[in-house]
Amino acid sequence: MNAAVIVLLVLLAALAVSVAAGYAFSSRSARLRAMDVRGGIGARQKAFVRFSSAYCRIGGRVLAYGILFLTCAASLFPFLWMISSSLKTPAEVSNTMRLVFFPASPQWSNYARAWTTIDMVGGFLNTMIIEAATIPVCVIVSSLEAFAFSKMYMRHKTVHLLILLSGLMVPYASVVLPLYRAYYKLGFINTFWPLILPTMFGSVSQMFFYIQYQKGIPDAMFESGKIDGAGYLQQFVHIMLPMMGPAIAAQVVFMFIGNWNDFFAPSLYLTNENVKTLQLKLKSLSDGNRMDLPYVFAGAAITCVPLFAIYFAFQRYFVGGLAITGTGVKG
Amino acid sequence: MEKVKIRPGRLKRKEGRIALAIISVKYVGEIVFVFVPVLFSILYSFTDYNAARETAPFFSRIGDIWIGFGNYKNLFTHFMYSEYFLRSVCNNLFMLLSVPLGIAAGLLVAAILSQPDIRFAGVFRMLIYMPVVAGAVAMNIIWRYMFDNQYGLINSLLGTQWMWLTDDWLVKTAIVIKNVWGGVGRTMILCLAAMLAVDGNYYEAAKLDGAGATRRFFAITLPIITPTVFYLLITGVIGNLQMYTDSLIFASGDPGAQTVVYFIWTFGIRRSMYGLAAAASTLLTITIMIITVVQFRISDRWVFEG
Repeated sequence: MNAAVIVLLVLLAALAVSVAAGYAFSSRSARLRAMDVRGGIGARQKAFVRFSSAYCRIGGRVLAYGILFLTCAASLFPFLWMISSSLKTPAEVSNTMRLVFFPASPQWSNYARAWTTIDMVGGFLNTMIIEAATIPVCVIVSSLEAFAFSKMYMRHKTVHLLILLSGLMVPYASVVLPLYRAYYKLGFINTFWPLILPTMFGSVSQMFFYIQYQKGIPDAMFESGKIDGAGYLQQFVHIMLPMMGPAIAAQVVFMFIGNWNDFFAPSLYLTNENVKTLQLKLKSLSDGNRMDLPYVFAGAAITCVPLFAIYFAFQRYFVGGLAITGTGVKG
Repeated sequence: MEKVKIRPGRLKRKEGRIALAIISVKYVGEIVFVFVPVLFSILYSFTDYNAARETAPFFSRIGDIWIGFGNYKNLFTHFMYSEYFLRSVCNNLFMLLSVPLGIAAGLLVAAILSQPDIRFAGVFRMLIYMPVVAGAVAMNIIWRYMFDNQYGLINSLLGTQWMWLTDDWLVKTAIVIKNVWGGVGRTMILCLAAMLAVDGNYYEAAKLDGAGATRRFFAITLPIITPTVFYLLITGVIGNLQMYTDSLIFASGDPGAQTVVYFIWTFGIRRSMYGLAAAASTLLTITIMIITVVQFRISDRWVFEG
């Protein structure tokens, strides 16, 4: 396996040399070009400029694609390794002498076994109950609150917004003890309420996102609604909501993925086997012994499939949605 | 011209009342689920409250269990707890390394992808962002296996026998590597959006003045996208301070990778020592608040606002 290390080192060295040479050439040729603009340079220098910019173009191109391919490979490799390992036998997984990427006989039965051992269906249903109970309410309530901020008259608007945003500074770990105590007293441990209740009042970050989006919708639409005698709720339902399609879709996708991957809060409140979410089931599967490893990877792969399906299907929301929150919010 | 302040009319005031009524929903939510719990948490931190040994309601015996700053003192000096706590703090600080490293790597990739003549930029972007979408549990499981002391892929590739999962420093390094891997995509997408919004005229002008690609990046792109980089840095640090899943699953609670939130979980939820855990969580809240406020102050001064 040392050959791999050597190849890697050579690659890295080549990259480094390429960067250094490219930088040296490009800065010198840039200097010369600037001189040329001002007063003219000799033929030899001109040749250098031509050579170096050609070198830079090719070298820079090779370097750029090299970095992209390396990053891509690094990003994908763990997933590929997960799938490859999920098709191995327990012996192959713990074989230190020979690492194989393509197992001799793919053990598709690992998936069936993972599926049944940890009651994936139950975990999936529990996760879906949480998704279904939180997403619609949270999305509607947050966008209504955003409507009050973006299109309605309100005194001290900035102060209200800042107070609400300040809640984002508080880490969940800091409120978890009193909340846990309260839920315990209310008998909410091992129910979905601790995960559903807080979202019923909307989410501040989602609200902030919607405010940014709603500001882009012209006020005139709501004024004409007002003249036609529409109340605020009607304006919201009949004018605002139909126009918020892309924003809501993006937030639904984000929230679905967030809920799907949520681990900290569910791990505190859901300890009974029959209420565990998919992620918790996966965690308990991974606590088993080493012989179970292939099933664990199969289970992990199964939990990733819906995520990636959604990711590829809603590709544009990831880029667009994040871009708005990313540059709009500061902190 | 003098600005005349007009008292809003009756309809306006009615509109204001309705708007307040609407956002009061969010106020109720914030008060019930954030502000009151924070106050309780602070209150707990001054007491010797142990939920498992509760005889009477908390408030009826708050005088008996009040110990002032005792918990805070214990966190730093008590022979049983200070070791845990200080170790968690150090681990957290070390693992913050993944934030600047992830941002640097993401910036590099974004700078390349923002060039107009790169082919398949969309495909690269899509694939590089994938780790961000994947669930933390599944990713911790697979990385744990890749870093495994005995059967790990990384040890066999390097031809070493390093104790990635149990050595105090290696386990932190492994988590940093894993989190850099997980963070590149996020930085890349956000920085790319910011870079593509930069006015192309700046680059034209710089090219005429003879600035190379590297120079253009550091003199134009980077200063203009500082708000995004700063946002990533702050949210990254805040998110990193709240790390928990990595300690629990990747390191399976190994002392070398315990974090402050893991400390809160161990002492608060598992051992029911609410006072001690609340003191730690109060310190965490204060830290995050300071970071946020400082960020607001600094970003006014040196962040470019186009």
